[in-house]
Amino acid sequence: MHELAPALKPYFNEETTEDILVIEGTHAASHAARLARVQAISAYPITPQTSIVELLSEMCATGDLDAQFIKVESEHSALACLVGAASAGARCFTATSSQGLLLMHEIIHWVAAARLPIVMVNVNRALAPPWSIWADQTDSLAQRDTGWIQFYGESNQEILDTILMAYRLAEQVMLPVMVNMDAFFLSHTAEPVALPKQELVDRFLPPYQPEFRLDVNHPRAFGGLAKPDVYMEFRYHMQQAMEEALQLWPVIAEEYKYHLGRWHGTAIESYRCEDAETILVTAGTITGTTRLVVDQYRENGVPLGLVKIRMFRPFPVEALRQALAQAQRVGVIDRNLSFGQGGIFYSELKSALYNGDHRPLLNGYVAGLGGRDVTPDVLAEIVEHLIHSETGQDLVWIGVKA
Amino acid sequence: MSQIPVSVPAQEIMGSGHVACPGCGAAMAMRNALKVLGPKTVVVIPACCWSVIDGPTPHSVVGVPVIHTAFETAAITATGVRAGLRARGEEDVNVMAWAGDGGTFDIGFQSLSGAAERNEDIIYVCYDNEAYMNTGIQRSSATPWGAWTTTTPVNNPKSRPKKNIVDALAAHHIPYIATASVAYPEDLVKKFERAKSIRGMRFIHILSPCPPGWKSVPEQSIRISRLAVKSRVFPLFEVLDGWKYRLTQDPEPVPVNEYLRLQGRFRHLTPEAIDQIQQDVDSRWNQLQQRIASSF
Amino acid sequence: MGHVLIDQEGKPVFAASTGRMEWNHTGSWRYMRPRYENKLPPCTQGCPTHEKIPQYFAQVKRGDYRGAWEIILEDNPLPGVCGRVCYHPCEDVCNRGEFDERIAINALERFVADQNLDRRYPASFRQPSNGVNIAIVGSGPAGLSAAYQLARRGTAVTIFEAAAEPGGMLRLGIPEYRLPRHILDKEIHDIQSLGVEIRTGQRLGTDITLEDLQNRFDAVILALGAYRGRAVDLPGRHLKGVRSALDFLRELNTHQPVDLPERVTVIGGGNTAIDAARSARRLGADVTILYRRSRTEMPAVREEIEAALEEGIDLKECCTPVEVLGDESVRGLRWIKTRLGEPDDSGRRRPIPIPGSEAVLETGAVLLAIGELPELESLPALGTTGSRIAVNDHYQTNLEGVYACGDVADGPVGTVVDAIATGKATALAVLHSLLDQKPAANQPPVVTYDQINLDYFRHQSRPALPHLDVRDAVQSFTEVNQTLSPDTAEQEAVRCFSCGTCIECDLCLIYCPDVAITRGSNGVPYVINYDFCKGCGVCVEECPREAMTFEEELSCTN
Ligand SMILES: Cc1cc2nc3c(=O)[nH]c(=O)nc-3n(C[C@H](O)[C@H](O)[C@H](O)COP(=O)(O)OP(=O)(O)OC[C@H]3O[C@@H](n4cnc5c(N)ncnc54)[C@H](O)[C@@H]3O)c2cc1C
Ligand SMILES: Cc1ncc(C[n+]2csc(CCOP(=O)(O)OP(=O)(O)O)c2C)c(N)n1
Ligand code: SF4
Ligand code: SF4
Ligand code: SF4
Ligand SMILES: [Mg+2]
Repeated sequence: MHELAPALKPYFNEETTEDILVIEGTHAASHAARLARVQAISAYPITPQTSIVELLSEMCATGDLDAQFIKVESEHSALACLVGAASAGARCFTATSSQGLLLMHEIIHWVAAARLPIVMVNVNRALAPPWSIWADQTDSLAQRDTGWIQFYGESNQEILDTILMAYRLAEQVMLPVMVNMDAFFLSHTAEPVALPKQELVDRFLPPYQPEFRLDVNHPRAFGGLAKPDVYMEFRYHMQQAMEEALQLWPVIAEEYKYHLGRWHGTAIESYRCEDAETILVTAGTITGTTRLVVDQYRENGVPLGLVKIRMFRPFPVEALRQALAQAQRVGVIDRNLSFGQGGIFYSELKSALYNGDHRPLLNGYVAGLGGRDVTPDVLAEIVEHLIHSETGQDLVWIGVKA
Repeated sequence: MSQIPVSVPAQEIMGSGHVACPGCGAAMAMRNALKVLGPKTVVVIPACCWSVIDGPTPHSVVGVPVIHTAFETAAITATGVRAGLRARGEEDVNVMAWAGDGGTFDIGFQSLSGAAERNEDIIYVCYDNEAYMNTGIQRSSATPWGAWTTTTPVNNPKSRPKKNIVDALAAHHIPYIATASVAYPEDLVKKFERAKSIRGMRFIHILSPCPPGWKSVPEQSIRISRLAVKSRVFPLFEVLDGWKYRLTQDPEPVPVNEYLRLQGRFRHLTPEAIDQIQQDVDSRWNQLQQRIASSF
Repeated sequence: MGHVLIDQEGKPVFAASTGRMEWNHTGSWRYMRPRYENKLPPCTQGCPTHEKIPQYFAQVKRGDYRGAWEIILEDNPLPGVCGRVCYHPCEDVCNRGEFDERIAINALERFVADQNLDRRYPASFRQPSNGVNIAIVGSGPAGLSAAYQLARRGTAVTIFEAAAEPGGMLRLGIPEYRLPRHILDKEIHDIQSLGVEIRTGQRLGTDITLEDLQNRFDAVILALGAYRGRAVDLPGRHLKGVRSALDFLRELNTHQPVDLPERVTVIGGGNTAIDAARSARRLGADVTILYRRSRTEMPAVREEIEAALEEGIDLKECCTPVEVLGDESVRGLRWIKTRLGEPDDSGRRRPIPIPGSEAVLETGAVLLAIGELPELESLPALGTTGSRIAVNDHYQTNLEGVYACGDVADGPVGTVVDAIATGKATALAVLHSLLDQKPAANQPPVVTYDQINLDYFRHQSRPALPHLDVRDAVQSFTEVNQTLSPDTAEQEAVRCFSCGTCIECDLCLIYCPDVAITRGSNGVPYVINYDFCKGCGVCVEECPREAMTFEEELSCTN
């Protein structure tokens, strides 16, 4: 193991760590899949996801990972392939981005409704046209209603840990999980990542033993025609599973911390919110920059806080209400857009607060679409706007050139 | 033997009570396929009539594990099932994709081609009723030239020939391709037996009569299927490794009109149009003969 | 981990099946209903006794020759006889004839009989006494058949026969090279084994009277046959050497000494003519047959005519005698050529002499075989149609309790099988009248050629029937035709379409898209599960032989 810088020591728990690598987010995802001992992988290349599957191919080729990698002819097939593999009882992994994710859309719904605990990494990338390969979360947020659990990561380490936890969660509630990372800001940014010891991962994540699978000794049909008299209950149960996931997630996070010594918060992470009058809400890599800005404002005595949303589905309504219970002003920063409405996290949060006891002033900021940098200066502009707002504004465009 | 003996395996995997139309060829085909493949089989069914035939949740008539899957994903879902079974160490299970012509020739063609190119270890069966029947008889690329469908009305019937799916699959150099007919159950059974004994991608194309879609009477389903073979509209043959062609049935030929005239979907055809079809059939037959001649 | 995808009631919470589809009774969709129903094969219909031909073929195929024999015995107690001498109208209507060649039904019948020469009727064959007591006069095929059918049904039967031995024309007319007597004896013995008493040397009109029989028996069946040669108006007919062919045969068959000149002419075209000619040939004569119509019109069994020609008998078609020449004895015959004119009452074309075509044939004997008529002089009370006893549809004569059948009665005459058939029908009519025993129910429809699903058959030819080499044949009265080998018999039985008669080929079961047909048990080959049968009709349509019926659902009760 490398000699750790003293500042990193509490974060990279020596007892649980096998190795520390300075790797990009994509490779952190690959290592997570390996550590989860996935049995079937199917994927189709798209920038900036490619290095995930390249490394996994390598691992399969060398035998570091004992999995079948089906190199299919499209993303649609990649996920459909896993429908088959997961139905047969295999732990499955795939990764994609942007156009690829959209091509999968039909099967994304399918996986969830078939109650298959597949974990997929999506590298959030802007949608065409025009062609763009840079960060933007509209792709994954467009999958909001598919029945997938969704996470957004801030660091490569968090991506790795979240993937491992995602398998636990997915297999416990039998819903698929999408773990999202911003294109390039995370996918192609090298950071030190602690790879946990395999035996500890194994203890945390036992082999997948589904209750139902394609089993010739117990023949069943899956996914057959459902008449109106039965369909709705299946959907009811999916919602139940989502709600269960929300309850279970903190428990799994605790367990992860217990076994592997790391903690990234629960569904959300509150940063310096205790006495904050003004709170910014973020998801993804903007969060890291926002931490710095919060620290700066705090240094200047401004009670600014940050709430990072890790889990987007199920949406952590209670946690957010609590985290924002004292806030006067809340600004949501969205690197995504629902045309005709605004930032997606914003509208989600807004509706979450509507039935709550406390309704702070709420502004929605759309920034950084298509990979445009959201710098500390841009964030300061948002903070200033928020502090001086008298009424809530649904859609405030940040950085749009005249 | 004066009566041509027909025998198929006795085991009955598929059950009764399914909701196929009376005289449905797709039901007959499934029944015989499963008689050969047996209980250690997983069936993958994309959107098609069979997604209904199997029965409403929570019931299934097939008798082996079935996974219903998206319209265009029969081949790839089967691929995944194979991978999943392998991951669990279950190597001795047949994985059969069971798709209609729409799911094979059209929307599922990409994933089929992918699976074929990778030589996935699956048996892919296309029961071809020559249109999108599930959605109400719309044309597919398997619809023959001149046929009526709800999207190729009689005053504008299909103006392009049926896609030659066997040629397309042969171009992938897969180990085994066969055409089969429900009117030749023993031949069909033999082909499934052969397919079962081979590893890699196997493709079986079954012409599957559809009384409502073909505007034929249910009791003639077998008769019509047999006439398709006898008229050489649908010859029964095998292709090994993508280039070795072998005819498996060669009955006394009859004019195509014998086949066409029993089906309302061809009723509007003029004598000239029927001649045209006869010529096409003849030239495709000659082409097949040439391939057979240069095969071995 | 508890159950994630199962609810409290144990049901999956996503779309997973828990059962099959047997709850779904798709039979309710049906508006047409298939059912198994054998139809009448044309051969059975064509056979005057209605032998169940494809049924006994089925037993032949299985090698169950006793079973086959017993099926024939339902309708005909003389298969060994018929298998040799029957003119086999069944074959004329055989559907297979339209496909390639008709089935050798007659040879198969003989094969079955020959396989059972050492067997006796099963014990179960005779039903308990029905208390009825019947007299039959005449022991030809008609009388024997009537006796047999009656006796089987528990009737006491006494046959009165004028001749010294039973059998009628089978013994007195048909020569041994066609019908060896041990075959005839065996089949008569079988009939006697049912308790039938045959009193020979008892001539009605001489030794017994009809009134006496009427008094002593519940009914009387007259099966007297026809054995008096028809009179001819031929100049020179009284010359020595002109005689009835039947008399000649009768002498031969009762082993009386016959002496024949070197050259013999037979006049006529029926079985008597051919038999007389072939017998004369066997006695060393040079034989000519004169027939006034063409060969195709000859009433004799076709194969017999062919055999006669092969044996070197000269057939002069379209020739009719004009005068027998000679002083005391026959020296020659003047004849004239004929041409065929319009059809006469018999439906055959009338021969018209062609003037100036006369010629003379040298011959030492003329055997007349121009038809036989019954002798009814001793039975004046009986109503006739001129030459034969008049009977109604139930074979009843004008006298109470007196029936008539075979060649003596009006109706189909002149063949063994018609005699057997009318004998059987008469027996059933008698029982019907005395015991009110209903005759069989309505016959199902006959299977036509276009109802055979030809796709299931391959062309295959009829086997050649084994027979003696002609050079050997003419040397003696040894039987000419021989029996089929078991292999050939089996192949031929297999070649039969089995029209209207299920052979359990399984096609219906294989094709059913709804898996609604299963194999049955206790002799029921298949069972249709009407809970699931949608009435598509594929089974009915594909049955190669019309052994299933498709009918409207409403019209039938389950
Ligand atoms: C030479 C010849 C060849 C033939 N060949 C064939 C052939 O190949 N195929 C074919 O189908 N048919 C053939 N026939 C015809 C066939 O034999 C007869 O049609 C058939 O035998 C008629 O049967 P029957 O029982 O009505 O009469 P018969 O067979 O004539 O029997 C009548 C019986 O009644 C007896 N009888 C008559 N009068 C009295 C009386 N008063 N009292 C007591 N007993 C009496 C007779 O002695 C005789 O035994 C042939 C006929 C002849 C003559
Ligand atoms: C992506 C998608 N597009 C369209 C449909 C609607 N759809 C269901 S089945 C079907 C036609 C199926 O045709 P084919 O594959 O020939 O099978 P058949 O119904 O004729 O048996 C269509 C168009 C669908 N289910 N999914
Ligand atoms: S084919 Fe057989 S059943 Fe049909 S008529 Fe001929 S002998 Fe009879
Ligand atoms: S084939 Fe089956 S479903 Fe169709 S009519 Fe016959 S028994 Fe009924
Ligand atoms: S198809 Fe064959 S088994 Fe079925 S009824 Fe007809 S003859 Fe009998
Ligand atoms: Mg179709």
